[in-house]
Amino acid sequence: MTPRKRRRLIAIAVFSPPLLWTLLFMIVPYAIMFTYSFYTRQYPTFVPDFQFGNYATIFMKEQYFQVILRTLKIATLVGFLSLMFAYPLAFFLVFKVESQKVRTILYTAVIAPLWVSYLLRAYTWKTILGSEGVLNSFLVWVGILDQPTDLFLYNQFSMVVTLTYIFIPFTVMPIYTALEKIPRNLVEASQDLGLGPVRTFIKVIFPLSLPGVLAGMTFTFCLTAGDFIAPFLVGGPDGSMVASVIQSQFGSSLNWPLGSALSMVMLAIILTIISISDRLERAGHIDLD
Amino acid sequence: MIFFRKNIVKKSASFISTVAAIGVALMPMVGFANAGEVSLLTWEGYADDSFIKPFEKASGCKVLATYVGSNDDFAAKLAAGGGIYDIITPSIDTTKIMIRAGFVEPIDITKINGWEGIYPKFAETGGINEDGKVWGVPYAWGSIPFMYRTDKVSTPPTSLKDLWDPQYKGKISLWDDKSAIYVAARLNGDNNIYKLSDDQLQKAKSTLIEQKPLVRKYWATAGELVDLYANGEVWISNTWGGYQSSLLAEQNIPVKEFIPIEGAEGWMDSHMVVKGTSNTECVYKFLNMANSDLGQCGVANVNGYSAANEAVAKKCMSPEQFKTLHQDDVGYMDSLMLWENLEERQEAYMEIWNAVKAAN
Repeated sequence: MTPRKRRRLIAIAVFSPPLLWTLLFMIVPYAIMFTYSFYTRQYPTFVPDFQFGNYATIFMKEQYFQVILRTLKIATLVGFLSLMFAYPLAFFLVFKVESQKVRTILYTAVIAPLWVSYLLRAYTWKTILGSEGVLNSFLVWVGILDQPTDLFLYNQFSMVVTLTYIFIPFTVMPIYTALEKIPRNLVEASQDLGLGPVRTFIKVIFPLSLPGVLAGMTFTFCLTAGDFIAPFLVGGPDGSMVASVIQSQFGSSLNWPLGSALSMVMLAIILTIISISDRLERAGHIDLD
Repeated sequence: MIFFRKNIVKKSASFISTVAAIGVALMPMVGFANAGEVSLLTWEGYADDSFIKPFEKASGCKVLATYVGSNDDFAAKLAAGGGIYDIITPSIDTTKIMIRAGFVEPIDITKINGWEGIYPKFAETGGINEDGKVWGVPYAWGSIPFMYRTDKVSTPPTSLKDLWDPQYKGKISLWDDKSAIYVAARLNGDNNIYKLSDDQLQKAKSTLIEQKPLVRKYWATAGELVDLYANGEVWISNTWGGYQSSLLAEQNIPVKEFIPIEGAEGWMDSHMVVKGTSNTECVYKFLNMANSDLGQCGVANVNGYSAANEAVAKKCMSPEQFKTLHQDDVGYMDSLMLWENLEERQEAYMEIWNAVKAAN
């Protein structure tokens, strides 16, 4: 066996499992789903076909359009809120905490919830936000409220709170990494040139951390857009999101074609957002070179 | 103190079952049911330890159960791939769909002991009789009444209007099921609830959307409704007659069921055998258990439902229970609006219900 042949064999051995995996579990299912999205619903199930009725339904019928808009709204809110919490946290960890040891401990503390089941954490919010939950009991005990309020749970507020809490680590991680990579001498140079901390942040640190910010927000946005546990556990009558609707099309409504079409539309939206964010990130790189 | 602990245990049990239910919903189960096992796709309470444990011991068949929250889950689960479930327990409005979609196989009633004891009304219903064959073994029946917290709702509600009453804003719940449409239609005065026209469906939709701001949550499983009542989130809702109210009574939550003046729906559940099951022996052992004292009084005691086998019920129930559960008066069933198969209209109903849930 020539060395070249051997190298090729090794390359095949190394790369074929992941490629096969991608093909079997990503490409093929998407292709199947894409095919299904042109099928026709026919009682009691559905039949193969090629027509655009399912896509037309999504854009013509208010209910689907509305749910997509609501999902995008909630995903945007969660993205921004996570950023509001995650950025200061990451900044504090990187620039304010002196000891490497303390930093590692704090960073681990932020990431640790990811080891706890998502379901469990979402469920916990029910006990906190409920009518007889921790928050209400506290507010009544302190005297801020006369009687418990229903406003905390089973609405879009509780969904945003739960999802923000759950996805904060996903935003902290890329921002932390981006901030950590900023050479300290750049910050020092900015200060030597007479810029105060605020302008140093605006002119130097923030632009350099932008890729992390974009990555974090994209993560959070996409994860939220595909979530159906939060609507199920803490969402109320006005909380259906796209994933819940897709789930019911594959479930009780037994309308796989429409569910597939909805999935395809969501896939297109998410891919668009990912590629925009990717482009923005790269645009940032060129500026700095 | 013992009380407190019991409560915690209950709560964690219902929590775990919720998590498990979601887990099951998320993951299509992999693998096939094994011999010596019987896998049920059924309702909460239909695989209760009080009768399943003795059955397992006596038969040597292990029972696995997955729960549905709505009759529309049966077709969805079975369409997603076979080989998992051996027995399903759809209600009378769904049995026909199972037969026509080819999900189930006929039952050899000569192998069912005490078949003759089943109320003829159920044994002979079109829902389980097709092509001269029998496709299901009637198990239990009851109503979909309404329920309220007696300590929170001062004037006992009598009408569906109470579920549209702004004074209970944020304390109202409805079952996340097409039956919500039946409720709204009755409120609108449309009593042909299983044959609603498109206009009537649209009216029901507006009625339900009008109610949305008052609704706390649409309940999806029996366990969820129990939690909603126990946590003080909900004061009034519909329910599966006898079941959730007894679970709440165990937790000392004071609730009472009522049949509104607009009437209530009735249901009857039958066990059906999934086509191609490889566990025929255990399946028939199970069907026979369900049709015996153990199964019939088991479901009556655990769920508070009425039994489908008159002869067996007479044998294993006390005269009082026999009367309370209307076993002596199947005419009572005629006063309920027994669920009907919606046939081609099923899709229209589902779409309306989905539109209600999606609305702002």
